[in-house]
Amino acid sequence: MWLPILGLILGVSLGFLSDIQIPQEYGNYLSIAVLAALDTLLGGIRAHLQRVYDDQVFITGFFFNILLAAGLAFLGVHLGVDLYLAAIFAFGVRLFQNLAVIRRVLLTKWSEYRKVSTTNTSK
Amino acid sequence: MKKMRTKKKVMTVSLKTSDRKKRNNRISYALVFLVLGFILSFSYRTLGPGSETQQLRSQIDSKEEGFREELIEQKERNKQLTDEISSKQKTIAEVEQTLSDTEENHDLLVKEAKSLRLLLGVVPASGQGVRVELADGDYDPAEQNPNEYIVHESQVLLVVNELKIAGAQALSINGQRLNANSSIKCTGPVITIDGQTYPAPFVVEAIGDSNALNSSLMLKGGVMDSLLSDNIEMKIEKRKEILMPALRDDIQG
Repeated sequence: MWLPILGLILGVSLGFLSDIQIPQEYGNYLSIAVLAALDTLLGGIRAHLQRVYDDQVFITGFFFNILLAAGLAFLGVHLGVDLYLAAIFAFGVRLFQNLAVIRRVLLTKWSEYRKVSTTNTSK
Repeated sequence: MKKMRTKKKVMTVSLKTSDRKKRNNRISYALVFLVLGFILSFSYRTLGPGSETQQLRSQIDSKEEGFREELIEQKERNKQLTDEISSKQKTIAEVEQTLSDTEENHDLLVKEAKSLRLLLGVVPASGQGVRVELADGDYDPAEQNPNEYIVHESQVLLVVNELKIAGAQALSINGQRLNANSSIKCTGPVITIDGQTYPAPFVVEAIGDSNALNSSLMLKGGVMDSLLSDNIEMKIEKRKEILMPALRDDIQG
């Protein structure tokens, strides 16, 4: 359990302390990468709650989505098509869908738990 | 027994593989979270509030604001200047109007001065006019009184006054320019004009509208008739160009 947390802390500190500067115009790719990462994370949580979670799918999806989103946006800029808008749209929609699904699953779980607890107490 | 052992072995092997699998998973999760943390923090640092991009943006915004204010200021200044220009132009127009008025006045004054100067005789004059020649009548033995046929100063005066009234601008008698103060005196057979004596025939030249001068002299019952009845030979010529000298200094005083 401590290893992923350590990784998170390490990543955050690396991000804050690193002295890498990226040009202004690559800010779009960065924001898309953030979106992709968050989307994949939420997707993983949803899959876990729906009991269809798969390690391989999650891990490959995480990295692949980030790279693909940024790469597609990059290509779009070079082709003169605003593909990063499409990426933001797609990831945003999926993000909110995932959030909604997670909320619903948690809600059903909670109501089930309450039902069980009330039956327990009534006994 | 043997079967049991193999089973146990199989179990331990499966346990081991699941262990390894778990560890692999943990490492991958750690990697995933590392990348996630990195991306989040990095993007926060580069794009979030207080970052260089944001600072640049706020700088640009404030600069834009400044430019906009400057633009507004300039526009106001422009408006002010335009107003000033229009008011100045109005003033200029007024000044020009007065100037042209004064110029017109000036023109009139110059003309008047010119004609006055002509009348005074201080400048040489030239232009169209009439030339009147008055000569003594032929000697008539039947007439005892020579006064009956010589030209008198009064007759010259008559001609001169008639011409003046008819609008002559400049007058001369035998080349002697007349001015407003000129005197014509009778001194026996000759006349004295401003101290200079002249014998007959007298040539009176007048500059002015030649037609008007001519017709004023030719009036029925006018100068021409009265002079002719006094046995004086009178010739009137219209001249296109008459040259007249200025009043001579030595006489003027």
